[in-house]
Amino acid sequence: MKNQVSSLIKKVSNLTNGDGAIASQEPFSWWGASPEKARKAMVNKPKGLIDKRTTIKGAVDKYVKDGINIAIGGFVNTRPPVALVHEIIRHGAKDLTLSFQSNSICPELLAGAMMLYPDHLSIKRVELAWWGYEVIGIAPLFRYLCANGKIQLDDYTNYGMSARFKAAAMGIEFLPVRDHGGADMELVNRGVMVESPFSGKNCYLVPACYPDLGLLNVTAADMHGNCRIFGAHCTCPEIAIAAVNTIVTTEQIITNENIRTYPNLTEIPYTAVDAVIEQRYASYPGACYGFYWFDMEHILMFRSASDEFRKTGKMDALKKYYDEYIFGCETFDDFLGKLPYKTLKKIKDLDGGQPVILA
Amino acid sequence: MAEYTPFEMIAYTGSRVLEDNTIVFVGTGLPIIASIHAQLTHAPGLGIIFEAGPLSPILEMGMPLSVGDTRACRKACYLKGLSSVFELTQRGHSDYAFIGGAQIDMYGNVNSTFEGGTYTRAQTRFPGSGGAGAMAANCEKSIIIMALEPRRFVNKLDFLTSIGFGDGSEEYREKAGVMGSGPYRVITNEALFGFDEKTRRMVLLEAAKGRTAEDVQKKVSFELLISPDLKEMAEPTEKDLKLLREECDPDGYFLARKLK
Repeated sequence: MKNQVSSLIKKVSNLTNGDGAIASQEPFSWWGASPEKARKAMVNKPKGLIDKRTTIKGAVDKYVKDGINIAIGGFVNTRPPVALVHEIIRHGAKDLTLSFQSNSICPELLAGAMMLYPDHLSIKRVELAWWGYEVIGIAPLFRYLCANGKIQLDDYTNYGMSARFKAAAMGIEFLPVRDHGGADMELVNRGVMVESPFSGKNCYLVPACYPDLGLLNVTAADMHGNCRIFGAHCTCPEIAIAAVNTIVTTEQIITNENIRTYPNLTEIPYTAVDAVIEQRYASYPGACYGFYWFDMEHILMFRSASDEFRKTGKMDALKKYYDEYIFGCETFDDFLGKLPYKTLKKIKDLDGGQPVILA
Repeated sequence: MAEYTPFEMIAYTGSRVLEDNTIVFVGTGLPIIASIHAQLTHAPGLGIIFEAGPLSPILEMGMPLSVGDTRACRKACYLKGLSSVFELTQRGHSDYAFIGGAQIDMYGNVNSTFEGGTYTRAQTRFPGSGGAGAMAANCEKSIIIMALEPRRFVNKLDFLTSIGFGDGSEEYREKAGVMGSGPYRVITNEALFGFDEKTRRMVLLEAAKGRTAEDVQKKVSFELLISPDLKEMAEPTEKDLKLLREECDPDGYFLARKLK
């Protein structure tokens, strides 16, 4: 199928037949749930407006298993689900597949845990578009993993990954998109070029991504999982609906009556959410619009520990970070309790009071 | 003439290239600064798209440090998520893609995935396509910022992340299934390039003051076409530099960097 129809890409760069990239070699299989499995899981869920509030530990214990595909919400340093990722690192899980469009601290934290304790947590493959810190720099652990061939990649554009979650949220197998074609991206992801059955023109299809578990932090949610998102939605609504199960942390729980007053503001319906946890600063050191900006200093501290490992192989600084901030904490509040008040005040002030509707 | 840094020259040139009453889909850093400068000078009707979701925000809280920065959402006209802005782009709402990269070839194809080694064991892995591949495919015109060095202006890319004119053949972009018309300008601090309509090869349009076409060619690995109407690059005035330094990037996150 891969080579029946093609753009003219193979003539252009130094890349030879995808350089052994997974996408150019293996027959297609779903890296998370199949559409049928995801549909069946949804059909079998109770749909009542029940109280889905729980603890982060309770939700992670229930839904995180070896070998699952975990989708990470947010976009780079905006609304990353950091509180949930900390708990997953404490919990441990092997042979994970990660899926996201662009992210920073979340996959880096998971990668660092894999470097330190590979028998406790490991990433087998990643479906992504971008992994880095933007203004703060490249992601050292991602660079390390790639240089040493330690993870398999399925490599798309940001729209490609968004369309893949969207396809799953639509309950379909794939979406036609207008990118990847004519770039080496065609050779390193599992999309395929086909002829449109209507015009006969070349058309690139990306396979849906049905994660086993979606991790999100949202602005506000009621106890049933109806979510409001202010600031950029990123691809959080798509991920919530695409995933077999979705855990949502929210900066604030609001009432169902409030949700029902402005139903148009609900970006994720309760049927797409399995667990809700009210957790302040759940994206820290990332940003959450309306509440706090990202903390560049904290990210720099973690990044420099990661970079030291990449450059020297020394794990001391990295281990110290995990011991202090993750394994040395039982809850995310314990972690936040280690931060100076001045830090939390600073990032709250830097948000500048972006307007959100909570009442 | 005022003293300015290479980054200030790039931002100023980027601003010059953007027309009023258009939409630019920006990458992080200099594209954002160039777009803010354009809005403050000749292009008050320029709208900006950031890929996390906002269309036409008012950047009154200062320069967003990244395209995902919550400040980029401030007073936007329309704010959803990635799917929405990329779909508007497929539909023709984005006039310019404004991106950077690690390598470019004579047909304006760009690498931002890896350098050296192989894809599965990359010596230097970059963050990846991000939005760039989709922007270069479907914004109407692509503007690319690149440092003028032979190792960046290469004969063959290590990896083609963002489509340009491919192998230069007429049907390349159509066979790729993309919608935009392709590369438009390549901006460096010492030269401004465009593309020849017939051959789709890179053309030197402007060289910095005191630089000849030969000087520029020495920094490019492939053979450049030279515009018969080769011009001198305009330099930023004191007023432009004041805007860049005090309004666009007052903390110097991007403009005050040192060129490696």
